[in-house]
Amino acid sequence: MPPTRLDLLQGTLDLLILRTLIVGPMHGWAISQRIQQVSQAVLQVNQGSLYPALHRLEEAGWIEAEWGRSPEHNRQAKFYRLTKSGERRLREETRQWEQMAAAVARVLTGEA
Amino acid sequence: MFKRLGRRFRALVGGARLDRQMDQELQFHLDLETNRLLQQGLTPDQARTGALRTFGGVEKVREECREARRTSWADTLERNTRYAWRALRRQPGYVAAVVVTLGLGIGANTAMFSVIDGVMLKPLPYPGSDRLVLIREAAPLVGQDEVGVSIRELYDYREQLKDFDGLVEFHSMSFDLINRGEPDRVSTGVVSANFFDVLRVRPVLGRTFVVSDEGHGAAAVLVLSYEYWQTRFAGDPTIIGQVFEMNDRPHTVVGVLPPMAQYPENCDVYMPSNACPFRARGEQQMAEGRRRAFGGLTVFGRLKPGVTVERAAADVAMVANRFNRDFPTVYEKSDGFKANAVPLLQEITRNARPMLLMIMGATLLVLLLACANVASLTLARTLHRERELALRVALGAGRGQLAGQLLTESVLLALGGGALGLVVARLMLGGLTSFIGRFTARTGDIHIDVTVLLFTLGLSILTGLAFGALPALVARPGPAAALKQAGPSSGGTPRRRRLQSSLVVAQVAVSVVLLVGAGLFLTSFYRLQSVETGYQPDRVISAEVFGNFSRFKSADDFRRLYLPIVERLERIPGIVSASVASAVPLGSEQMYMDAPVRIEGQAVRTKNGPTSGITIATQNYFDTLRIAILGGRGFLATDTADAARVALVNKALARNWGTRDPIGTRVSVDNGETWMTVVGVTANVRQFSLEKEPEAQVYIPLTQSLMGLPGRVLVRTQGDEQAMSQVIRAVVHDVDPNVPVKNISTLEELRRRYLSRPLLTAMLLVLFAGVALVVTLTGLAGVMATSVSQRTQEFGVRLALGARPAVLVRSVLRQGAGLLILGVALGIAGASAAGRVLTRYLFDTAPTDPLTFAGVAAALLLTGLVACLGPARRATSVDPLQALRSE
Repeated sequence: MPPTRLDLLQGTLDLLILRTLIVGPMHGWAISQRIQQVSQAVLQVNQGSLYPALHRLEEAGWIEAEWGRSPEHNRQAKFYRLTKSGERRLREETRQWEQMAAAVARVLTGEA
Repeated sequence: MFKRLGRRFRALVGGARLDRQMDQELQFHLDLETNRLLQQGLTPDQARTGALRTFGGVEKVREECREARRTSWADTLERNTRYAWRALRRQPGYVAAVVVTLGLGIGANTAMFSVIDGVMLKPLPYPGSDRLVLIREAAPLVGQDEVGVSIRELYDYREQLKDFDGLVEFHSMSFDLINRGEPDRVSTGVVSANFFDVLRVRPVLGRTFVVSDEGHGAAAVLVLSYEYWQTRFAGDPTIIGQVFEMNDRPHTVVGVLPPMAQYPENCDVYMPSNACPFRARGEQQMAEGRRRAFGGLTVFGRLKPGVTVERAAADVAMVANRFNRDFPTVYEKSDGFKANAVPLLQEITRNARPMLLMIMGATLLVLLLACANVASLTLARTLHRERELALRVALGAGRGQLAGQLLTESVLLALGGGALGLVVARLMLGGLTSFIGRFTARTGDIHIDVTVLLFTLGLSILTGLAFGALPALVARPGPAAALKQAGPSSGGTPRRRRLQSSLVVAQVAVSVVLLVGAGLFLTSFYRLQSVETGYQPDRVISAEVFGNFSRFKSADDFRRLYLPIVERLERIPGIVSASVASAVPLGSEQMYMDAPVRIEGQAVRTKNGPTSGITIATQNYFDTLRIAILGGRGFLATDTADAARVALVNKALARNWGTRDPIGTRVSVDNGETWMTVVGVTANVRQFSLEKEPEAQVYIPLTQSLMGLPGRVLVRTQGDEQAMSQVIRAVVHDVDPNVPVKNISTLEELRRRYLSRPLLTAMLLVLFAGVALVVTLTGLAGVMATSVSQRTQEFGVRLALGARPAVLVRSVLRQGAGLLILGVALGIAGASAAGRVLTRYLFDTAPTDPLTFAGVAAALLLTGLVACLGPARRATSVDPLQALRSE
């Protein structure tokens, strides 16, 4: 059975981006590739929706951006990095997400 | 944070550049995706379209990014404002309370700021007025904080100082201007010819003075003030060239000044320096060698370009030192004579400044109190809104966003308060201006203008942030709170309660400070007005009956005027006693002051010898004023012009005789030319001020006086005072129809006018303190009410277990008392520390007056406990069953 493509809620996308940036600064394309990689292609990020999310996160102060030279492609690219408050937000949101997921799982297995 | 601000700023300003950067970024992504697809084996065309497909609509993405960027600043502000508006509309009671409280607080501050701006901050209305500098002389070692400049000194300054582009003099006198036969008393500014040039004032009609006007033998000229021209001559455009007689000389009007406030004093007319007869006499004495002849000039000048005030001050000080060195007999070492230069504006506002700053401090304190109350109110409201706020958090609002939301609400409320405050300030400004007019002449520039509006705006925003910060910081509901039921014990966390209690303690402390200030001023005023004056003012009317210089020259002329007046007045029924004297207590200054006195048998001391004021009076003077005669006798009818010369001295002067009795010895007040025998000693009379110690006085009977006098008619009456003033006028005009009768008032009125300044100051502070007290008590009651509602369970249980209600009441009161005592203690500490600034305004009252402090502490404790009674009583009306049930 082919993996279903879920539409992601906006908040979840934010979470995923923040999580991805934990390993280090990346530019937009790399972020989208990594999310696809790690989620084993189940979560297909509509690549376009990545950028508004990135800009929104930047506005909120959870990530910050810097123009730099991309080593592999030798071009100017905008790199994003997690900020301190971004790290805090990530921890907080992850905890809540896990709580919610566990609760939902409990309900489902209970009913099953 | 600054990066964010920078970014936001750039977003506002450099939109196009950011667009280009975004395009670059998106292009980068597309290229990489295309590349990836190429490497997977697609053709270049397929790769490109594939990339575009997985990307989604590029335009759409661009739009969304732009929107994400724009959600900053203006958008957040707009969103917050909309939410705030909606939220506030749902709480009309709260909104009204806050807006009114803040309106009063901000309004008072706006009014005060207008005054401070108009008096102290605005430059004088002359172009380049910051270059105007005043020369200030002082002899601090003999207690003279301020000494006028003499004519000789002015000339010396002019010769020796290179810093000024013109040094001018000013002094004011009261002269009679004969206008169509009617003498009009005008305040006259006597000035140098280039006075108006230095000030850069251009006349609105005609010209101001030129150098030749000041020359010897020059025809006398006049410049009129705008107000005088309008009121006396109805703005007659043909006024230039008209001639009026003043001081026995014809004066030609050559110009009219523009409508503007005048410095150093408001004058009706101006004349050049050589037209003043007193100054002319001073010049004569100066020529005879008296260096300090006519030492009452105000001297200021315009600094040359490039010269600093500091340099001018140093140069002036150096010249003054030269005076000390070259004329040691005139400037004795023990005087400590010195001089410096100060900016003119600073000098004019010198007296008002401490008072203004003190009142501004009080108004700010009151605003702080109001903020504390409003903060407390808002804290309580935030509790009620916990569910609403928690929901918002659950929907994705960050803590920062929530705080921003709450702050927007509070700033909005504060802006509303500020708008109301402008109205309040408008109402207050009139009264405040006339109050401050007693301390400084500079009230013409006090308006509500753009500066004041900006101040109000800034203050409102600050206030909103101040009182909103506390609740915003504290409002931190977790998402779980949205699901909780609002229970009865939702009085809040202990942290919140502690915040409210601290607020109340702070309010109590601030109130104590204000109350102590008010109390000190009240005490000082009370002591001032009950000070022993030495005379009895009740039922005494005084009127100024000044004979014109031109018609009344010798002492005989004055006797011919005043003696018949007194005689006729005394014959009128209803008049107990009448007299004429050269000075009236608390009236305008005495003509003869600080005359050197020679006592027979004592060595003559040219410096530091006894000086005294001289009062020339008719026989019944002491009777009219009920001044006690302590030894010897008063004036008798036998003290005629041919009889032996007599005089009375007061107790203060009598001290110069030590233990000997002054009666029988002789004194002279004209350097030994004529001698008078002392026949009586009177009690001391506080002649000019209630605060200062009574001056020494010599009383000379009018019948024997060698000098003329500006006579004041004094009448002690049994009847109606209004009617009496008509009688006085009639009698005077009976004797001489051409003598004006001015300034008729009772001595009581003079005394009241004198006391009005300290009274008004005290009243103003009482008002502030009263408002502060009300605000604080309200806050206290509120906090106690909250505390009681939190303890309902506890009370219910105790009542159920049989506790008497009185015990509960006492428990609540004890809690309140704890807050009060802490606040009072802090307040007393603060007030004792800060009180020292008030010393110069207090009469006979120490800034740490224990009575006042004790009174304030007691008052606050009592009223505070009363305020707690209401909530305390509610504690007893708790239904124990109800309380136990809602566990």
